Amino acid sequence: MDSQQRVEGRPAPSLRAEHVTSGYGGVPVIRDVSISVGPKEIVAIIGPNGAGKSTLLKSLVGILRVTGGRVLLGEDDVTNHPPEDLAKRGVGYVPQVNDIFEPLTVLENLEMGGYLLTSAQVRTRVAEVGDVFPQLPPMLKRRADKLSGGERKMLAIARVLMLDPKVLILDEPTANLSPKLADALLTEHVKRLASIGKAVLLVEQRARAALQIADWTSVLVSGQTRLEGRPDELLRREDFEELFLGAGTSTPASPEEDDDKR
Amino acid sequence: MSLFVAAFGFGLVSMSVIAIAAVGFTMQFGITNMINLAYGEVMISSAYVAYYLNKAGISIWIGMVVGALFGAAFSFLLNRIVYAPFQRKGTSYLGMVIVSLAISLMMANLLLPIVGYYSVSYQEGTGGLIRLGAIILTTNQILIIGIAVVVMLLIHGLLKYTRLGKAMRATSANPTLARNCGIPTQRVVDAVWLITGALCGLAGVVAALNSDSFAIANGAAFLITILAAAVLGGAGQPYGAMIGAVLIGLITELSAAAWSPEYKEVVAFGVLVLVMVLRPQGLLAKRGAMAAAG
Repeated sequence: MDSQQRVEGRPAPSLRAEHVTSGYGGVPVIRDVSISVGPKEIVAIIGPNGAGKSTLLKSLVGILRVTGGRVLLGEDDVTNHPPEDLAKRGVGYVPQVNDIFEPLTVLENLEMGGYLLTSAQVRTRVAEVGDVFPQLPPMLKRRADKLSGGERKMLAIARVLMLDPKVLILDEPTANLSPKLADALLTEHVKRLASIGKAVLLVEQRARAALQIADWTSVLVSGQTRLEGRPDELLRREDFEELFLGAGTSTPASPEEDDDKR
Repeated sequence: MSLFVAAFGFGLVSMSVIAIAAVGFTMQFGITNMINLAYGEVMISSAYVAYYLNKAGISIWIGMVVGALFGAAFSFLLNRIVYAPFQRKGTSYLGMVIVSLAISLMMANLLLPIVGYYSVSYQEGTGGLIRLGAIILTTNQILIIGIAVVVMLLIHGLLKYTRLGKAMRATSANPTLARNCGIPTQRVVDAVWLITGALCGLAGVVAALNSDSFAIANGAAFLITILAAAVLGGAGQPYGAMIGAVLIGLITELSAAAWSPEYKEVVAFGVLVLVMVLRPQGLLAKRGAMAAAG
């Protein structure tokens, strides 16, 4: 058992990574990282550029191969299960870039998000996610690459909600959004998703904004967990500013991590 | 003038043949990332399958269906046995082109002892002549045009209105995201090879039916025209390939009337080079890859 599971007041984890090592082409980017997220909980992973935050998420959703440690969904070991299987089991993932099917219409994007459902279920879910993001229903016929940055991210999240996942994994959902939109996305939508029971695991460059909504925060530096705890505890620590905010990430200018570049 | 009107009629037939072939070719590239240079050889092999059935007294229209089924099965196996294993090993894009070129050469040389050097032709009446003003076409040619129109409508319906077709476009646009949605992309790719293989086989029989005779060497010539149409329209895009087929079909036949039939392919490539200079991404941009029309 990991230390974090014993923390009082945290829910039983829906998804947990235990001592995960992963990277590209045999070179580990993250080493021995453990993290967990439970229902109704928002767990934020923050850290400087190139810390391996996106790598961690990609390892959890089956895109990158885990070379050490394991990933558990409830009690099931899902280490290195293919992404299709994880989608079926209730893990929804919104990547930072390439997060929608650009040449498809908004409606078609939602239909693909609900690929595993029957067509009747798809119709019901499209209406339901339309209630969550009221901006989307009027633009169902529009091509997705014609959307604005904010609309695009809402579509990406709506797409992943089609399957009503238990666990939502969001990789920098506020990248490329204006500060106002970013705030709205985090404080309204992400918080609401957690409040209806989703386990939300999120990587966020806007550390302060992330700390405001998170129930638990993990600071990743150079591929390893440097610090973790409740946001208010972290903020009280003297070395926190130095570790994270001093690492040049107080400006959310760069939307991409090094390991995200293709 | 009537010569050009007649050439326009032939252009309609040419574009029909090219469209069936080019749409299959471009979908293979658009969805599976495979520039399949063996496409022309699969076409000609299917044409021969129909030829032997035809020789045994079976109608060429049934031969056409069997040719399409042969193309589907052959392409599916070609991908499963050769291309997919190479792609899984991470063979580069260019490496895959060379692999398909090797397959193409192997097929041509394996076919040679079976079917021989000589040109053959189907034993099928051309049907009566149908005149529309100066346009004179045979019944067979009218049927070919009809088949092409039906096939294009079916492909459009598939891509725009069916779950499988949308999954094909999603896989083409963003394969990783498609998997994250739970789309079984492997099965989608299998379906793509079956469907495009059927188009390839059908196109082979139709092309052979439309020419007086055919031989193994035609495989390479087919490929060149198909490449021109597919690239002209914007590689990887079915609707682009349709537009490319219309242009290449018309321009080559009109140039044949104006100049000489021997230079048809030269003209096709002249058009291609011109478009590439003016609009390197093809007539429809890659962003629109596998997009819904309209």
